[in-house]
Amino acid sequence: MTDQRSDWRQGERRLVLHVCSECGSSWYLPRRHCPTCRSSEAHKAQSPGEGTCVAVTRLHVKDDKGSAVPLSLVQLDEGPLVLGQADALLRPGERAAIDFRTAGDDGTLIPCFYRKA
Amino acid sequence: MPSYIAGVGLTPFGRQPGQDSLDWQIAAAEEAIRDAEVDLETIDAVLAGYSTVASHLMPANLFAERFGIRPAIAFGVSSGGATGLAMLAQATYLIAAGAARHVLIVAGENRATGQTRERSTSVLAQVGHDAYEVPVGGTVPAYYALLASWYQWRHALPEGALAPLPVQMREHARSMPGAQYTTAITTRDVLESRPVAEPLRLLDCCPVSDGGAAFVISAAATSERDIEVVGTGQAHRHQHLSTIEPGRTGAAEAAERALSGASLDLSDVDVFGIYDSFSITLAMITEELGIAPPGEAGAYARAGAFAVDGRYPMNTHGGLLSYGHPGVAGGMAHLAEVVTQLRGERGAAQVPDAVTGYVHADGGVLSAHIAAVLKHRCRR
Repeated sequence: MTDQRSDWRQGERRLVLHVCSECGSSWYLPRRHCPTCRSSEAHKAQSPGEGTCVAVTRLHVKDDKGSAVPLSLVQLDEGPLVLGQADALLRPGERAAIDFRTAGDDGTLIPCFYRKA
Repeated sequence: MPSYIAGVGLTPFGRQPGQDSLDWQIAAAEEAIRDAEVDLETIDAVLAGYSTVASHLMPANLFAERFGIRPAIAFGVSSGGATGLAMLAQATYLIAAGAARHVLIVAGENRATGQTRERSTSVLAQVGHDAYEVPVGGTVPAYYALLASWYQWRHALPEGALAPLPVQMREHARSMPGAQYTTAITTRDVLESRPVAEPLRLLDCCPVSDGGAAFVISAAATSERDIEVVGTGQAHRHQHLSTIEPGRTGAAEAAERALSGASLDLSDVDVFGIYDSFSITLAMITEELGIAPPGEAGAYARAGAFAVDGRYPMNTHGGLLSYGHPGVAGGMAHLAEVVTQLRGERGAAQVPDAVTGYVHADGGVLSAHIAAVLKHRCRR
């Protein structure tokens, strides 16, 4: 893993985790203190974006315009959970790898997990 | 100093157009004060839950002015679905500190008819992370559907394993005055209802409702109908789905904190009110508390464990799933029901010899957990 500042939210096609400089635990959503040891010293590191799919859903919108949106929750090999859209074939228990799809006209990136062979 | 629930106000829940958030709050508060038989002048603190329809910086002041009282203490409270029990806990702290003698806690909202379903869904989606979850497509049903998918996979359960839970809630609601849905349903009806966010179907999800609830919490008991709050406990371990630890969401910690203060455990409890925004919510909380073994909440419901005459009578008013859910007041209906049971006033659905009650609410995505233990002070 290499140090990276920006992630898919800033338009870079990568997943970035925060790694505690004291205890080495990692997390995904921004936090001031390490949830394990409360240290405030952490660095960012790019994740390969691979892990185990633990949950999937197909979200049906109320008016049913368009098809249901598949979403997945993946536990990365580093530990944190990541919410992403999903390949329709992905099932809980399977290995998953991240990619990014472009949504809308402004090039916004959305993480999407695919079944890893 | 102990605290007592002296007055209960619970309106019918449902699609009931024509009243706004304050109207529902006033209706519930009026009933709670009448039930407590206290003079309006003696209400020295007002705590009010937020309304998503009538969002306001100062909900307790807004309510107090409109209601026509001038309390010494007033503030709004916001912990999602746990807000009602957060207000109860806060009322007990105010009483224990000697800061108030009679605390009115109130919430009400015209969530069903006061806004569009799309607006309601987008407001509630705030419980997801604004940068990392909501843009991906997260909504409240999606988060709970993912928890349900995870649960089914972890416990190798077939589709429909959770269906007995909404069926039991509906069975309770059939004889409950004011319930939004009272027509009997079967597990097949649950499985054949429209998919909302798979594996959750329409009947796995609570409705959106209009309604209100209120309580008067008092420093001294004045009648045998007053129910003592013997313990409250909380746990706040995460906000977002992406940081949840299944099996350790905070439910058990909140329960332990509430029960240990009263030197009780769940085996002492006669009647339960457990937050049931979705079938999976009820299953995960019930199992984390140890009421049902992991993966078996649905099987327990099917076997009648949560029926009025079961081992763990639960949500005997029908819960959020069938009595309804107008926001903060939704989680307060469980409290109203448990108090009514402990008073021995539940009529045909009375749990015999109910002395000790346990109420548990969660806000967000099993994020804020608040528990309360109640006891009838005369019967032992």
